[in-house]
Amino acid sequence: MATPLDGFMNWMEKNFMPVAQKIGNQRHLVAIRDAFISIMPVTMAGSVATLLNVFFRDLPNTWWGAGNAFTEACTQLINVNVNVFNGTISILALCFAFTLGYQLCKAYDVSPISGGAVSLAAVVATMNFAPEFAYTLPGVGADAVKALEAAGLTGLTVTDAGAVTMSVTGSSMISTVLTSATGLFTALIFGLACSMIYIKLIQAKLTIKLPDSVPPAVNSAFVAMIPGVLAIFASAVVTQICVVVSGAYPNDLISEFIQRPLLGMSSGFFSVLLVQFLIQLFWFFGIHGMNVLAPIIEGVYTPALLENLSVWNATGDISQMPYMWTRGSFDAFTMMGGSGLTLGLIIAILFFSKREDSKTIAKIAGPMGIFNINEPVIFGMPIVLNPIYFIPWILVPVITSAIALGFTYAGIIPPVYIQVPWIMPAGLYAFFATGGNIMAALVALLNLAISVVIYLPFVIMANKEQEKQQAQAA
Amino acid sequence: MVNILLCCSAGMSTSMMVSKMQSNADERGIEATIWAVPEAEAEANAAKADVILLGPQVRFLLDKIRAVAGTTPVDVIDMMAYGMMDAPKVLDQAIKLIGHE
Repeated sequence: MATPLDGFMNWMEKNFMPVAQKIGNQRHLVAIRDAFISIMPVTMAGSVATLLNVFFRDLPNTWWGAGNAFTEACTQLINVNVNVFNGTISILALCFAFTLGYQLCKAYDVSPISGGAVSLAAVVATMNFAPEFAYTLPGVGADAVKALEAAGLTGLTVTDAGAVTMSVTGSSMISTVLTSATGLFTALIFGLACSMIYIKLIQAKLTIKLPDSVPPAVNSAFVAMIPGVLAIFASAVVTQICVVVSGAYPNDLISEFIQRPLLGMSSGFFSVLLVQFLIQLFWFFGIHGMNVLAPIIEGVYTPALLENLSVWNATGDISQMPYMWTRGSFDAFTMMGGSGLTLGLIIAILFFSKREDSKTIAKIAGPMGIFNINEPVIFGMPIVLNPIYFIPWILVPVITSAIALGFTYAGIIPPVYIQVPWIMPAGLYAFFATGGNIMAALVALLNLAISVVIYLPFVIMANKEQEKQQAQAA
Repeated sequence: MVNILLCCSAGMSTSMMVSKMQSNADERGIEATIWAVPEAEAEANAAKADVILLGPQVRFLLDKIRAVAGTTPVDVIDMMAYGMMDAPKVLDQAIKLIGHE
């Protein structure tokens, strides 16, 4: 191969590895990533419950109309799933607050269980326990509003359905808006800040020293006391300042001015293509791109997915979902067979390659590729630093993302809102991740076909490359 | 008896390597315990291992894993051997690393 290219490769390798290393060693980012991974069993249970209700309730209702016999017969099963949803998706910001504190403490070698509890308490301390909500007045019609207002009632509203609601302030309750996906960034910001206060104070030895005669177990319980108290008070003080100055609780501001714009921006066209490009570039140098970028991908695209899921459960309306591209969208539409849509490459090779080396790899990699594991392709072919495959390697995920996004924006397929294990085969992933949407599965298969077409000329080019080498050798 | 720990991003692709290495070790009469874990669990498993091998896709974690592994030798699996799922070669690499310590 030409020397300038080798030089470029070496330069990239030298400058790329440290970036990956830095992200992989950045304790806060890794803790955020691991905290999201730790709540996976919880979010997965919520996803399964939602998906089951799609098949018990939502799809039958669209096929046979509301109140159909099948859905009626499933009522208790549906209620079980609702209970699961309440215990999972409705409170996942709380779970995350705990796992974030836990993972941070683990990274800093501080007792993680107390740290997780402190983080959870600090996040809950930011919440409004006297929320305002609309109470539907039973048996009151729109015609009674005037009389009620004359009697001194305020905050009355007539809904589109003709019911009368009154604005009420509750006490000793938290809205699940705060504890579900909408509260994730508040949990992230306050959980991170308060855990760090806790950790730094413990490391600074701002702890109560008891005499040696006290048993060690008692002593260790006292170690976390002052740091824990200060961390939780810090959260409460900041919250109160926020309420006094702005008249709103931290989550109101964070979700509106940080979370929504950030998630909105990252699920936009340009950001998705950029992320795909970076994942592929890392992989081209043999580095696990998804792993390196996981803090960003988990931290931004997972909350987007969970928020879509919450919206679906609240409204049952796909068109209300705020984010077009979420965590599962990558796997559903652009990573069949693994990063780079290598299932397409394997198919192209099996049918059109004349190279024995490539065919052998494709046969080893094929069965694993069905379950989206593609290291044999990346390191065996290899894709790594292989100039022939560089162009399709970058192009395929970018183009397939654009196609899937196009279909989503056009409203032809729903955005991904259900979590699916990443080993789910091509098409099935998209089907389940979109709540059983067959069009989405077809788009995934269309993308697979497109990837075969894009890889094909380069497989043929690789054939010729080998012929040339053999001719030179002869 | 040798204890070999493999480690990659999710522990999936290395688990494939594990089963191939295990059967190769059995064929060669080497008494070996070989297992794979995700990167996040490497630290918890490090103490039980005589040698830790990283999948090439997470080779940027080499310094980090070395830091938690103490005196246990840590290295990256040869890229080509990994891609071809060449278990005998990886097993040789592991045994050689243990021998060095």
